[in-house]
Amino acid sequence: MDTIVITGASSGIGLETALLLTQYGYNIIGIGRSEYKCKQANEWIISKNPKAKIKFYLADLLHQREVVRVAEQIIQYLNENCNGKLHAIINNAGCVRSWYMTTDEGYEHQFALNHLAGFLLTYKLLPALIKAKGRVIMTGSESHKGIKINWDNIMLYRRYNPLVAYKQSKLCNMLFAKGLNERYAAEGIHAYVVDPGLVNTDIGNKETGMLVNFIWSLRKRYGVSPAVPAKTYAFLCEQSPPPDGLYYYLCKEKKYSRQVTSQNADRLFALSERLCGIQYGKVQKL
Amino acid sequence: MNVLITGAAGGLGRAFANECGRRGYNLFLTDVNEEGLTCIKQGLERRFGSVVATATCDLTEADSVDSLLSIIDKYKIRFDMLLNVAGLDFEGEFMKRDREDLVKIVLLNNAATLRITHAVIKRRKPGRPFTVVFVSSLASMFPMPLKATYAASKRFILDLAVSLRHELKREDVNVLTLCPGGMVTTQKTMQSIKAQGFWGDITTNPLECVARNTIDRALAGKSFYIPGILNRILTFCSRIIPRSWVAAVIYWRWNNTQKKWLNS
Ligand SMILES: NC(=O)c1ccc[n+]([C@@H]2O[C@H](COP(=O)([O-])OP(=O)(O)OC[C@H]3O[C@@H](n4cnc5c(N)ncnc54)[C@H](OP(=O)(O)O)[C@@H]3O)[C@@H](O)[C@H]2O)c1
Repeated sequence: MDTIVITGASSGIGLETALLLTQYGYNIIGIGRSEYKCKQANEWIISKNPKAKIKFYLADLLHQREVVRVAEQIIQYLNENCNGKLHAIINNAGCVRSWYMTTDEGYEHQFALNHLAGFLLTYKLLPALIKAKGRVIMTGSESHKGIKINWDNIMLYRRYNPLVAYKQSKLCNMLFAKGLNERYAAEGIHAYVVDPGLVNTDIGNKETGMLVNFIWSLRKRYGVSPAVPAKTYAFLCEQSPPPDGLYYYLCKEKKYSRQVTSQNADRLFALSERLCGIQYGKVQKL
Repeated sequence: MNVLITGAAGGLGRAFANECGRRGYNLFLTDVNEEGLTCIKQGLERRFGSVVATATCDLTEADSVDSLLSIIDKYKIRFDMLLNVAGLDFEGEFMKRDREDLVKIVLLNNAATLRITHAVIKRRKPGRPFTVVFVSSLASMFPMPLKATYAASKRFILDLAVSLRHELKREDVNVLTLCPGGMVTTQKTMQSIKAQGFWGDITTNPLECVARNTIDRALAGKSFYIPGILNRILTFCSRIIPRSWVAAVIYWRWNNTQKKWLNS
């Protein structure tokens, strides 16, 4: 039984992806922050696919202690039920903010959830992923283009601009995937980023101010259903042998920003490791 | 520079802690929330390499403050700055609040602030200038129906700070009063700002800017800081318009907002 962890599976892209993957027969562990929404999501998936193997764990992934706690819960489950193996993790939970807000550690919300949470969770689940020669998939975005990482002020402490913070966090997803491949390809790990395109979800209407809310409400009407990008995740989980690309849109490889270099990836790894208090393995030459 | 911050585990206190960490100050953080203190300490150490000490303390309990002080004295920590952030805010009609909840506002916002301020100024670094920041509120400028106790408690802080500033001037202590409008500190305040719609967006001040400017101004010897032009205009109006009119307008506005918020 191949198991897949999906963060932010209680709504939007994560929810549709969870449903589709249960239809492929995967055993799904969804993570969400609201008990009510997770329960609803669970019921919705079962109603569409009565044979679905799905369970939800609760965690507010903004805060690192919650990430660590849920990771331990998952490891225990995998050890008891799946021979300690994890086929894939989909780091999809994400947010948009109008204001500079901080986590319990004092880290900026978009950077903390869109990047650091996946960085830390993947690290904690790495032994299980390596055991299964698994895949790590990030929900990225075209908005990772046209921007550089602001290394001296990565949380945009001065002059917070919500859009820049979002774009930068999506560039971090690209660099994280690249760095993972460079470190763990020899162990059979494959890391990818999916561009879902413009999708009709409520992401810009949650915990945002009037302006961001308004803009997103207009914009999302042009978005596709979350069932569309879900297929790309299923493609990346299903293909055997796993494809070699990095960035995928509608099940096809796509060009990415020139900022996605090994040098930037190493720099992001060093910084994120310090902020999470962890240490990934070294880069390996293949 | 050694700085003590109360209420450091959340909202504005955490923003001050970040700002001080960025400036390379040494920090002594207290809060009732132990887990939150551990997290922010870890964050500051990892991000800025800060020197951080923490101690949980319920400032409304004299015993709890005594044991905090005994830790400070045991390690002979002496301070250059005190940021009084810990405070409580409940909203709603006076007669619909729990009696003890109302009293608690005054116990923390006023009694506890007096207690810790007195204790920490006594533990200032000898021969060095000292800085105290009191966090009052825009609410201190007006009588505020539906936030009556809170606004009055903030008025207490404002008057206290102005008097202390004069009393302590010749001892090289600078006292600054911060009077912020809305700030996005928690998920809950965000929802309340959202419910205020347009007004919420324009009277809201970015937390990190408020923290940075407050410390800049306090170190420059300033006495007041009201973040945001609109908030300064509102303050000015409150001085020239009769207080009972102001109260009526505020009642009207908050009543509407709270209805929207509660129904959302
Ligand atoms: N929509 C688009 O057009 C678009 C385009 C490009 C990229 N993306 C990316 O797609 C990903 C998913 O977004 P979406 O559009 O599907 O938005 P969404 O519907 O808001 O989904 C976000 C998911 O993350 C969860 N989440 C939010 N904060 C969390 C926290 N602190 N801890 C744990 N889970 C949390 C949400 O839980 P709740 O259900 O409780 O809110 C939800 O399940 C994001 O990474 C986003 O950046 C979206």
